[in-house]
Amino acid sequence: MNDATEFLRPRSIDEAVAMLAAHEDARPLAGGATLVAMLNAGLIEPDAIVSLSGIEELRGIQAQENGGLRIGAMTRHAETAASALFRDGQQVVPHAAGQIANMPVRNMGTMGGSISFADPAIDYPPALTAAGAEIEIAGPGGTRRVPCGEFFLDWYTTALEPGELVAAIHVPPAPAGSVGHYEKLARVSGDYAIVSVALVLAMDGGLCSAAQIAVGACGPVPIRLAAAEEALVGSSLDAETLAWGGAMLAEASDPVDDVRGSADYRRRVIPRLLAKAVAAARAKMIEEAA
Amino acid sequence: MSQAVALKINGVERQVLAGATQTLLEVLRDQLGLTGSKRGCNQGVCGACTVMVDGRPVRGCLSLAANCEGSEITTVEGLAPAGKLTPVQQALIDSGAVQCGFCTSGMVISAHWLLQRNEKPDSDEIRRTLSGNLCRCSGYRKIVEAVASAVEGGKA
Repeated sequence: MNDATEFLRPRSIDEAVAMLAAHEDARPLAGGATLVAMLNAGLIEPDAIVSLSGIEELRGIQAQENGGLRIGAMTRHAETAASALFRDGQQVVPHAAGQIANMPVRNMGTMGGSISFADPAIDYPPALTAAGAEIEIAGPGGTRRVPCGEFFLDWYTTALEPGELVAAIHVPPAPAGSVGHYEKLARVSGDYAIVSVALVLAMDGGLCSAAQIAVGACGPVPIRLAAAEEALVGSSLDAETLAWGGAMLAEASDPVDDVRGSADYRRRVIPRLLAKAVAAARAKMIEEAA
Repeated sequence: MSQAVALKINGVERQVLAGATQTLLEVLRDQLGLTGSKRGCNQGVCGACTVMVDGRPVRGCLSLAANCEGSEITTVEGLAPAGKLTPVQQALIDSGAVQCGFCTSGMVISAHWLLQRNEKPDSDEIRRTLSGNLCRCSGYRKIVEAVASAVEGGKA
């Protein structure tokens, strides 16, 4: 424990940004699920902790006029998982939220905190990437919005500059009639993914009309590949096409060997998990049509 | 830097002095003597520190005390203030579902919350809810059976 650390309680985003700028090594505190674990492990010794809990603008999920959603950065996983505002393929996001860790952690952890840490094995990055989400960043120069592909940059590395924080996540409307599905392969309930596949999928007359696919936990950032999606669109999502799309994603992946599985194992799993995710998404379509 | 923090713990207003990086769990155990909540991994994984903040189970070890200012906190001690056990607590005893006991208070908090929300959870819901509480004696089966028997008792 660092006795010199200050605990600060801003009431607005602007005030929080000013506090982050005023300290050499201030850390914004969202839900605490990651930051406090790092404090407890002695991995960080910030000179100030800037609590975001009192900032009303960071809370809640709002439906936009165009069918998109604005998710405040402080929205907890449990709220996201239970929200009825997600439509069509947007549901990949709450589906992933409900599979993060376990109930007490979902009651604490927030979307902004989770993606700011950007562990490649966590659940939101692939789900938000598949959903085509944009990240709203607040900083000393105002706010800016970047797509996931420009936000997740490397292992534990995002586009956030010192003094910046995630203000919100914007999920665009999904293709009409699409479904969202998040397929997670993990050793036990609540663990990080060995491999995950996030999917937004639509079918029209027996053929795939839209496919947005992101693979998680298989490299520094989520993998989204236009060529794999194009391979699926227009097909009947037969086994051969899925194996082909899956092989492209596996080829584009850059997994490592770790305690959860070898890189080779992960590459082999990707096409199978894609097929499993597609089967589950199609089952949801049948369920929704019934 | 320590600062005064007002917390309502098990229905009683308390003032504590907490450093910026001090966890709720440390304050509960070391300052207030409420040692029912345990420190296991201190990383939010094991669930032995699970307490309720404003009615929701959270990790005591991942909650900074200063960030709980104004919150209502319920620990396992607060569930049976007059020594009268909750149905979940009684069922754990009756079922012999306590081995070393280290995970028990966290299990009790999670199961208590479940039964407050849902009077008739099925075995899957019980298992899902308790999946964030690890028992290193591996006594899961009896724990799930005990919670199920508290459900059957019908008075969570």
